[in-house]
Amino acid sequence: MSLKKAVAAEEAVVLLRTRICNPNFIFSLFNDSSDSNYSKLKFIVSSSVTEACNNSILLLGPRGCGKIAVLDLVLEDLLKEYPEMISVIKLNGLLHCDDNCAIKEIARQLCIEHELMFSKMASFDDNSQFMIDMLRECGLAHKTVIFVLDEFDLFAQGKQRLLYSLLDAMQSVSSQAVVIGVSCRLDADQLLEKRVRSRFSHRKLLFLPPQKEDLQRLAKYILLLPTDSSLPPDYVLEFNSRISNILADKRLIEVIDKLSDSDSTFSNFLRFLFSAVSYIDLKTGLMTLDNFKSALSTIHRQPKLDCLKDCSILELYIMVCMKRLEVKEQESYNFNSVMKEYKTIHDSFQTSDNYSRSVCLRAFEHLLERQLIEFADRGHNQSIEFRSVKLLIAPSELHQGLKSNRSCPAILQKLMES
Amino acid sequence: MSQEEEETPQTTTTRRTTRLSSSSNHTQNETLKKPITNLPSLTLKNLTFTHNNKPFTYDDLISSLPGRKPQIAEILRLLGPVNSPLSPLFVYGSSSTGKTSTILQVFKYLNRPFVYSSCRSCYNARQLFDNVLNQIMLHRRNGSNGYSGVKKCEKAADFVNFLKEGLRSVVEGLDGDMVYLVFDSLELVRDWDKSCTILPLLFRLSDVLKVDGVGLVFVSGASIDTYHSDTGFVDPVPVYFPDYTEEDLRQIFMRNQSNLKLRSAFLDVVLKPFCRVTRRLDELSTALSPLYEKYCEPLDDLSVVPNEETKRRLFSCIQPHIAPALNEIFRVKSQQSLEAGGKEGLKRKTSSKKFGTSDSIDDLDFHMSTSAKYLLVSAFLASRNPATLDASFFDSTGGSANQKKKRKSSEKSRDLKEASEQEMFMKGPGTFPLERLLAIFQCITSGLEDSLEEEEEGLQGGTGLGGNGGENSLMSDILLQVSSLCSANFITKGGSCPLEGSTRYRSTVSDDLALKVARSLKFPLSKYLYRR
Repeated sequence: MSLKKAVAAEEAVVLLRTRICNPNFIFSLFNDSSDSNYSKLKFIVSSSVTEACNNSILLLGPRGCGKIAVLDLVLEDLLKEYPEMISVIKLNGLLHCDDNCAIKEIARQLCIEHELMFSKMASFDDNSQFMIDMLRECGLAHKTVIFVLDEFDLFAQGKQRLLYSLLDAMQSVSSQAVVIGVSCRLDADQLLEKRVRSRFSHRKLLFLPPQKEDLQRLAKYILLLPTDSSLPPDYVLEFNSRISNILADKRLIEVIDKLSDSDSTFSNFLRFLFSAVSYIDLKTGLMTLDNFKSALSTIHRQPKLDCLKDCSILELYIMVCMKRLEVKEQESYNFNSVMKEYKTIHDSFQTSDNYSRSVCLRAFEHLLERQLIEFADRGHNQSIEFRSVKLLIAPSELHQGLKSNRSCPAILQKLMES
Repeated sequence: MSQEEEETPQTTTTRRTTRLSSSSNHTQNETLKKPITNLPSLTLKNLTFTHNNKPFTYDDLISSLPGRKPQIAEILRLLGPVNSPLSPLFVYGSSSTGKTSTILQVFKYLNRPFVYSSCRSCYNARQLFDNVLNQIMLHRRNGSNGYSGVKKCEKAADFVNFLKEGLRSVVEGLDGDMVYLVFDSLELVRDWDKSCTILPLLFRLSDVLKVDGVGLVFVSGASIDTYHSDTGFVDPVPVYFPDYTEEDLRQIFMRNQSNLKLRSAFLDVVLKPFCRVTRRLDELSTALSPLYEKYCEPLDDLSVVPNEETKRRLFSCIQPHIAPALNEIFRVKSQQSLEAGGKEGLKRKTSSKKFGTSDSIDDLDFHMSTSAKYLLVSAFLASRNPATLDASFFDSTGGSANQKKKRKSSEKSRDLKEASEQEMFMKGPGTFPLERLLAIFQCITSGLEDSLEEEEEGLQGGTGLGGNGGENSLMSDILLQVSSLCSANFITKGGSCPLEGSTRYRSTVSDDLALKVARSLKFPLSKYLYRR
């Protein structure tokens, strides 16, 4: 009995994780209303396909709000509706921002679509000529070519040759192309050159982070197990009733509020759900409120405070010395001045933690690695002892860190306050 | 020899063959005749850790990584059951906290296929791409393919395309099992050339690839907030590895020891003071292992269980060694101590060392030629003294005219002196052009040459020409020595003067080292140093 339950629990966890990691599933929730971005985008693209005209559009919104996911859903649906009338070329600004690379990739994808031989040795001119010819041919055959430019703002760096040639090719009567740019910069269209911008239709779709009610709906949509799957029905019933109870609980609403107050995008929420699902105890196979609370603490980490908790006492001494130098309003100080301060502390308080210069230098380098301090100048001309440094944490953080460090001597706290 | 002579008349081609190339052709022919033993080609099974027929249980996993039980539990629950999709994981923590070993051991325990590449051994993007592709496409570099990678991949676009193909075939071959890509030492990617595109690409790799059945795990020494990016990237799920606590360190140091009680007594004494300085495992182990040897020295029988009295005795023996060990970073056995048979040399050293002061040993730990030592001292003087005072220091009277009469310093001059000292602290050593270094060197060594000449004259009655010739022949050697001092980092290249365009140098030796070198040459360094 328990073995069956464990197997069912595992299957349920795999199902939930698959749902969370699948953007198509998630964003299909919001596509039903008529003024959603999905319907708008679908309308624009399908109308350009059916009316055989050119179009361009920008999808803008912060990262993790579902731009590419909604676009993929639209394209999937359109490919089903109008087979043989659409071919999709996908480019990414991270990979193809160089013009040669981009044109080569376009040529390669066109060749794969139409089952032609792709030659790796073709030059930039050959490839661009090929692209123009293909566009003309597709236009004559009433086939629309959809160009998806991910990370559009990276294409807009440099000379924008690719953008110009794409948008220019669209201006001819015989071509049927749609250019869809996706960017997380809300001013991506301002980055375009004048000649490119004039050829660009200023259509923009804004993808906004979700409201709190949307997050609730999404959580229910993802976490409720389907009743018609291969899982045992009584387990599914129990699981779903548990989920509904938790989702209606005020404490969970508080947790979700706390989460979305810091970062309200979809991707953050999905990370939270992923973490919560991974906390499911496979013996019981049910979710509890504690799963969600532990997930929140995993997502909300404070790396600098964790670092401070891990520092050794000598490293804490060095940071306290730096803070004291800052309080004394020395605009710039380096390792030598920190050592001088360290020595004066030891002379006045006679502590037992008086270590040699080389050991202190090693601790100083550890602090640099942890990025709790940083060099304030950019040159590498001087050796490490003479370059000016600065603290990267605020005095209040340092204070909190000293308190949380288990082995911090009391004198350091006193020095911080004085 | 005769074979080579036969070779060279035979190769009467237009290309001139040197002796070396003809001899290497010869050896190449020889190696081709030997049978080449190939390693077996890679299969999909090579993507998982092999077990050697011994099952690796959960208890083995926990016991092989002491102090990491909560982190192992976290990683196991995030990786999830078999074939469950994975949001990218970001494992971070400071160095030597066991991140890499934990990840590898977890994959060994779970018996899942993975591809591991370290951004430390692959020092740029192309190497990284090469490494990942070779592993995915099960390619082994050997003599038959000329030790080349499987695909020539310079750009990220090609990498993504090849990776897609490779991953699809791997996932098919594994019947739909997931394969994991592990990227280690990710913090080094921040310093690479095109890091502003490579880092976001790596973090978004699962989106860009759009291949099912791939999980990404990143291991980094720095937390995610130190990865700066223009337009940001979607954060992966973080897993934090804190530093080892003292109890964990104790557990680690007790492993694989023959005499546990003795080791535990040693750790009781030593661990706490050392943990105040650093809690990094690698530094502690290098510091503690020689101390442990010293601790066990008085014992005749190493397997004896110490009672209270023995413990006290051992403690009193080791105590004077603890404080000096705390103050040094690593001990390199110098030539003198090895030759002197240890005891006498050490005695001399320990008596001259004072409790708690900076590490200063009277003698130099390394050997340098006399001219190199003079060069070092000249560089030190050139960096410390302002150039305008050279004439007064290095005139023919040997700088003795520079001794000002001591006047009672007024408050204003004392303030000025403090301010200039502060400036000295901040600015560091100054730069000097090569000509100034050589001029100072000439001045210093000309005094020496004269004294040597006098000795020679006294002995043999030689002429002055010999001295001059000796100086000239010394010159070319000096320039070589300057470059070797540069590579030893005693002199570094500073910025170049914008007017002249020549490079300027800077001396990076500490005051102590310069003093030691000068003392070994019997050179009165303090007379030549500028005191404000």
